[in-house]
Amino acid sequence: MKMIALAGNPNAGKTTVFNGLTGTRQHVGNYPGVTVEIKKGVIKKTDFALVDLPGIYSLTPYSEEERVARNMLWKENPDLIVNVVDSSNLERNLYLTLQLMEFGIPVVLNLNMQDLALAKGWKIDTKKLSQTMGLPVVETVGHKNKGFDELIKSVKVALGASQRVSQTAHFSDSVNRALDILEKKLSKENASGASRWLALKLLEGDPDIEQEIANAEIKQTARELVNDLEREHNKEIETLLAEQRYKYIEGVFLQCVSSKLSFKKPLSSKIDAIVLNKYAGIPIFLIMMYLVFQLTFTVGEPMMGWVESAFAWLGDLIASFWPEGSESLLKSLLVDGIIGGVGGVLVFLPNILLLFLAISILEDSGYMARAAFIMDRLMNKIGLHGKSFIPMLIGFGCSVPAIMATRTLDNRRDRLVTMLVVPLMSCGARLPIYTLIIPAFFPSKWHAPMLWLIYIIGILLAIISAKLMRVTIFKGETVPFMMELPPYHFPSLKGTLIHMWDRGKLYLQKAGTLILGLSILLWALSTFPMLSKERIEEYDAQRETIVQSELADSLQAIQLSALDNLQAEESVEYSAAGRLGKFIEPVIVPMGFDWRIGTSLVGAFAAKEVFVSTLGVVYSVGDADEESESLRSKLKKNYDPLIAFCIMLFSLISAPCMATIAVTKRESNSWKWAMFQLIGLTLLAYFITVAVYQIGRLAGL
Amino acid sequence: MSEMVLSKSLEDYLEVIYHIVVVEQAAKAKDIAQKMQVKASSVTGALRQLAERDLVNYSPYDQITLTRKGMEVAQDVVRRHEVLKDFLIKVLSIDESEADSVACQMEHAVTTEIIDRFTKFIEFVERCPRAGDSWIKGFDYYCGEKPQADYCRKCITQTVENFETNLKSGDEMNESTVRLNQVKPGSRVKITTNKLSGVTARRFQEMGLTIGSIVKVERVAPLGDPVEIIVKGYNLSLRKEDLDKIEGILLED
Repeated sequence: MKMIALAGNPNAGKTTVFNGLTGTRQHVGNYPGVTVEIKKGVIKKTDFALVDLPGIYSLTPYSEEERVARNMLWKENPDLIVNVVDSSNLERNLYLTLQLMEFGIPVVLNLNMQDLALAKGWKIDTKKLSQTMGLPVVETVGHKNKGFDELIKSVKVALGASQRVSQTAHFSDSVNRALDILEKKLSKENASGASRWLALKLLEGDPDIEQEIANAEIKQTARELVNDLEREHNKEIETLLAEQRYKYIEGVFLQCVSSKLSFKKPLSSKIDAIVLNKYAGIPIFLIMMYLVFQLTFTVGEPMMGWVESAFAWLGDLIASFWPEGSESLLKSLLVDGIIGGVGGVLVFLPNILLLFLAISILEDSGYMARAAFIMDRLMNKIGLHGKSFIPMLIGFGCSVPAIMATRTLDNRRDRLVTMLVVPLMSCGARLPIYTLIIPAFFPSKWHAPMLWLIYIIGILLAIISAKLMRVTIFKGETVPFMMELPPYHFPSLKGTLIHMWDRGKLYLQKAGTLILGLSILLWALSTFPMLSKERIEEYDAQRETIVQSELADSLQAIQLSALDNLQAEESVEYSAAGRLGKFIEPVIVPMGFDWRIGTSLVGAFAAKEVFVSTLGVVYSVGDADEESESLRSKLKKNYDPLIAFCIMLFSLISAPCMATIAVTKRESNSWKWAMFQLIGLTLLAYFITVAVYQIGRLAGL
Repeated sequence: MSEMVLSKSLEDYLEVIYHIVVVEQAAKAKDIAQKMQVKASSVTGALRQLAERDLVNYSPYDQITLTRKGMEVAQDVVRRHEVLKDFLIKVLSIDESEADSVACQMEHAVTTEIIDRFTKFIEFVERCPRAGDSWIKGFDYYCGEKPQADYCRKCITQTVENFETNLKSGDEMNESTVRLNQVKPGSRVKITTNKLSGVTARRFQEMGLTIGSIVKVERVAPLGDPVEIIVKGYNLSLRKEDLDKIEGILLED
């Protein structure tokens, strides 16, 4: 089976070309060892495998994407490269084309987005371009699905004549002479046909290639040649090669593109004059963010309600197979464990799909780059990228989609830092804890400032930890800030929906399976070991006594439910979760917590909103929610405002839920970072809470 | 620009009045008639028409001045005249008196857009190393007799040599070198030095910011950083800390 690689700059319309070439037969896979995904598919009506490389500007390996792309070409040796080029940005796009030609595998040049070039007043002479550069050139208009049959045809033709020749004619004679010398030496050792390309990479000083070449003599020769060239041209070798490539491209451009000067300002620059205006830019940005938030959480809320009630209905339906009051384990596993767990995952789905819809629209239209442009100064101050702002904002709603939104960051280091600090933005699931506790312990005029204080602490901690990580563990690699502001597009419905679904599906597949497993585990922890038969029989006997007694029905009901609550409390205390709570009590006492809070925290790891209901169970007030006054009065009896504040503080800083950790694992593609996040947040929460509690006690609070 | 259409002769009157007013502050009908070589009675008619259009302040027996609007229209006519005359002399090598009278005929028919193009073209011919003075002289020569290939070769070599020496002396003169982070939006800069190092330097070059390339600074972000530039026909945003290390020559527009 022939393998064809699809390469191109970011924003060249590679995805549409990929979908156009493969139709629907594609699947998304993960490339080993890195986060960057490589899509694979089969070209329509052929048996050619199509591999979609990440969008890159150059083949020099200075970013994760470029390294993946280069290694894919280098190690897997595809038979042909289809190079997607944005016709309206020809000069810069051709830079990568030259590098691909240097690599030597036959290249088919795909001039995409011809309509944009025409709108710019450019007429590209395809025939001449093909002759000048010595490549087959095919025009397409990706979003109108035009030109793909021709592209496939020309791929077939090119494959027939495929032969590997590194093309370096665009370099000066002196560079080519140096390449000749190195190539001759290299071809003695390396028969792969890539000798000339390797020679070029040696001249460029590519560290990975240098490692690959064992022969010290060749490396020495390369160094001497570089010295000579640098002396001759009086500039560094990288500068020299880059300049020669661009000089060649300039020539090609002058020959093959006739441009009609248009007096009209392009629409994009008219939009930018408003959207990026000194005064209007920030208000417009804030409005856009507000709309994203509204769409995600306000429109999503009723849908979440539907999902919740659908699962409640399903749970009731399944429970109804067992007789009333049955203690069947299977029923409990199905209803509380699996349906509860799966429901817990799916309940976020409307949010996530809506959020990705909003983000897809922002990205596809080109506004995302503008938002990053506006926010970059602020984010740069804390060592992040302008694009980090959006995930952090979404983090106030839910960390899971927020972490997934970090995908818009191209640079791995920026992405990881953002991902790691996002949980510190106080998410929606923590709100029930605050709304339960604040009214119980603080006078009403303190309610709003208290809530505000909690949110602010979260933001400050996120800023400090981001900054701290940037000067410690993420210090080494530096990639300069260079962000293209692509022309605005009107996003296509189909493209946006595909974009949205691609991401939503991943959430379901990967995070879903993990969350499901952990839900079952947590269910088991709070169920086993069960109370001894004797204890259960004792409770049953007590129930019997109440029912048999002379009391009025209403009184009986009250006593019965009190008894149920007591039994639930004892079961939890007896279960592994309860024991865990007791077991960790010595550790959490410095924070002012007892085993009841400990047990609730174990439950809260599944999801923070579980904290309130678990606390309800261990205080035997039955099903409690954040408005429960009986739970509040119990809390007031047992704790003081300082402990209450510490509970909120710990809930704020510790990892919001296992879904967050699961998604971090999925998005960073590494357990290391997921564990770092979990342990880091837990330790941070622990030490800060201990400090606050101890200092508070010393201060006599 | 004036929206009203003035007849050719009214434009001529306005032009003449302008030239007199520039020197004397005010014009007399007699002087106008003398310059235009017409009878005083026809001047009166024309002045009345111009006054009706609110271009001149005119009452019989009083001195004539241009209104603000009249000044603008007159300047436009004069500019068209000058540009055309310039083109005829500098590019087509036509002698001055003939150029003047032909420009006088042409100025009424040519739109402002075309005049702008003419200006640019003259500028281009003067600046482009492949054109310039000697090239114009070559045109003179061409009009006389067909040149030999030898002549062309010599001319090209000479041009390249001149270009190199100009470039060097230009460097020595250090014509207004600026750092890219200090350039006002709307200006264009030709990159001359790149003091960045390592990956950043390399990245900048790969994105098209090579020495010699022309960059237009488009805008600064609302918060003061980063900066949006146009290079190789696309828009790129960069931080000031990096742009600080790139120098270039400010190009006039």
